Amino acid sequence: MDSLILEISTRGLHRYEPIDDEVTTLGRALDNDIILSDPTVAPHHLKIIRHQDGRLELINLAVVNPTRVGTRPIDTRELTRLPVDIEVGRVQPQLLARDNPVAETRPLAGNGRRGHLFGHPYWAILLALTCICVDALDFYLNSYNSFKWSDLLKYLLRETVLTIGAFVLALSILERLLVNRWEMKQMLTSVSLVYLMFAGASVIVVGLDYLLSASWPSTLFHFGWYLAIIPAAIAIYLIHISHIKRERSIVLALLIASPIAVPSILQSPELQALLDNFSSSASYHNRLSHLNWHLHDSVSIDRFIEQAKELEPGEIAD
Amino acid sequence: MRLCLFAAWILLASAFAAPARALDSKEIYQLNQDRVFQVRVLNRETGKKSSIGSGFIVGDGSRLATNYHVISQVILEPEVFYISFIGSDGQEGALKLLGLDVAHDLALLGAEHSLGEAIEMSPLPPRGAPIFAMGNPLDLGLSISVGTNGGILNQTDDSRILFSGSLNPGMSGGPTFNASGEAIGINVATARNDISFIVPSRFLSALIEKSSSDGYGAETDLKAEVARQVLAYESRYIEQLLESDWPNLDLRQFKLPGVISPTVRCWDNSAKLSAVALYKRYQIRCTNQNHVYLDEANSSVGRLLYEYYWLESEDLNAIQFYNLYESLNKDQVDAKLDRDMVSNFNCETWFVEVSSQQMKSNLCRREYVEYQGMSDVLFTAALTGHEDRGFFITLILTGVDYHATLPLIRKFLENTEWTP
Repeated sequence: MDSLILEISTRGLHRYEPIDDEVTTLGRALDNDIILSDPTVAPHHLKIIRHQDGRLELINLAVVNPTRVGTRPIDTRELTRLPVDIEVGRVQPQLLARDNPVAETRPLAGNGRRGHLFGHPYWAILLALTCICVDALDFYLNSYNSFKWSDLLKYLLRETVLTIGAFVLALSILERLLVNRWEMKQMLTSVSLVYLMFAGASVIVVGLDYLLSASWPSTLFHFGWYLAIIPAAIAIYLIHISHIKRERSIVLALLIASPIAVPSILQSPELQALLDNFSSSASYHNRLSHLNWHLHDSVSIDRFIEQAKELEPGEIAD
Repeated sequence: MRLCLFAAWILLASAFAAPARALDSKEIYQLNQDRVFQVRVLNRETGKKSSIGSGFIVGDGSRLATNYHVISQVILEPEVFYISFIGSDGQEGALKLLGLDVAHDLALLGAEHSLGEAIEMSPLPPRGAPIFAMGNPLDLGLSISVGTNGGILNQTDDSRILFSGSLNPGMSGGPTFNASGEAIGINVATARNDISFIVPSRFLSALIEKSSSDGYGAETDLKAEVARQVLAYESRYIEQLLESDWPNLDLRQFKLPGVISPTVRCWDNSAKLSAVALYKRYQIRCTNQNHVYLDEANSSVGRLLYEYYWLESEDLNAIQFYNLYESLNKDQVDAKLDRDMVSNFNCETWFVEVSSQQMKSNLCRREYVEYQGMSDVLFTAALTGHEDRGFFITLILTGVDYHATLPLIRKFLENTEWTP
């Protein structure tokens, strides 16, 4: 008779108990073969019997929270196939054959190569420093007064260090809760990459707004960033760094992104205007660019006035 | 004998030719206390006052003159409100609307029977002469306020007299007398601190002349009539602006339309910059004063505002300069009106060649829901193509016929001249 393994998963931790004896008992009492210290487990909850002829039998011993196989409570149950999911109180062990196939080995972040972006702490530090440099440049380009180092340091501390630090800390805590691991260097690398991506995309979107004399590029970016790019980045991290299953990663990514995405989307003027169907403000296109690249042809005053005659008033709100 | 007769004739003639004795405020009050009434807008359901003002007897004795803004609620909601009067002797009754002059804030009302002797009207006395405003301030009873004539204000399109005396809520629509006890105008507004405004009596005389004794029929769309009058006034105003020569004002490298009408006042609005600022900016804001009261919710229309903004820097690089330039170029102008009153704005963008310069221009338009044909118009234009200089114009017109504003915008742009 082949020996068996009982896999007991509790909050991301897995424990494997061999079932080699003819009779194995599970319960909270200390005289059991396998002790499950959970208050919903009875002192003597389940007996597993391996018969000489190869049959495998489960016998429920609990009155409160009786053992379930699948979703149904059992008194006795002869098992015909493995693996089998069992519920013992709120503990959900799985009975497996020793030759049960295992999933493919996941590569380390960066395939274990030290030179890879996710493989060494210096990449994390380099990317974080790049974020600081990008923000320092942004501060300089948006400063219209004489330069002061103290202003720059205050800005970087407030806008860059605190922002990146807060995200890394919050997401690392979540990661610890989800998979019982800290992946600080990969986390810092990922957050810095997303931060730089946002900075770069913002510049491109502003240019596109001016080029097209339209605000839809920035509107699309605003919604796309929070609804697609941020959840996608988190999901990729969870799949490839935390090695969580794809479907679960997508759900988790949406849940993790929602505290940032939902307020940002709800407070966006575009959505407010869409929901309210009315704005007393005249919102027009104010983008200006020193490059002055635009697809709109310039028109004479006469032509402008001719075309302006066709301008209709806005919609009347319901 | 002939000499005696001639002497008697001279004496008699001189007695009639002598100027009438100037009345004091007590005498004017006593003379007119039965000819000035409280005009009230009452709710048909509750019978209680919703708003009050004053009115006085004109024409054949059965008519009362008051301000349009006193009774404007009835125009908006005739099924909810009606107009009535009450005199100092307790005499009261309903009034019907006979005529409107919305542009000058006047209304003519008719009673079912004669209310007394009409008050005579007179042109304006000399500037500085004493004048007397009567009315019912704050529903506290009839009173008289003494002040002086400050003359016709040309910044209000000649439709207001400056009264250096006190007007309080409830006195609107009451008469303003000269020292002979004749009405020279109608109380209309106050700016507090004894700065008040009177509508000259000539506008009331014109309204009496053109109003029928039957008034508006039940089928008359009064809101359409209000819109028609406001649009006619605003279109006339825009035509005057188009016909006149506009003086220029210089703002750095631009020659721009300056004070384009006596109704307009321009102010320097340049904000004080900190000593460490690496740029300079100059702002001029011009507005007109001849606004037209529309109703309680919309307040007034007929606003003309144009603003110039110049920005320059030798110390900022092109990216810095445009970041600043764009941050100052607001992407919206908030004109808070409710969804029941106006539509959304619809805006469109053009790049317009103005005096060999390229200006990114936006034109926005919204319409009034209750007042057909009436629009608010917003035009902005920002200079492009210079790395260290920026300039933008904002032009706002409210309560106008949209198509009537386009020639004005054209003239604005044609009078905008770049000097290299």
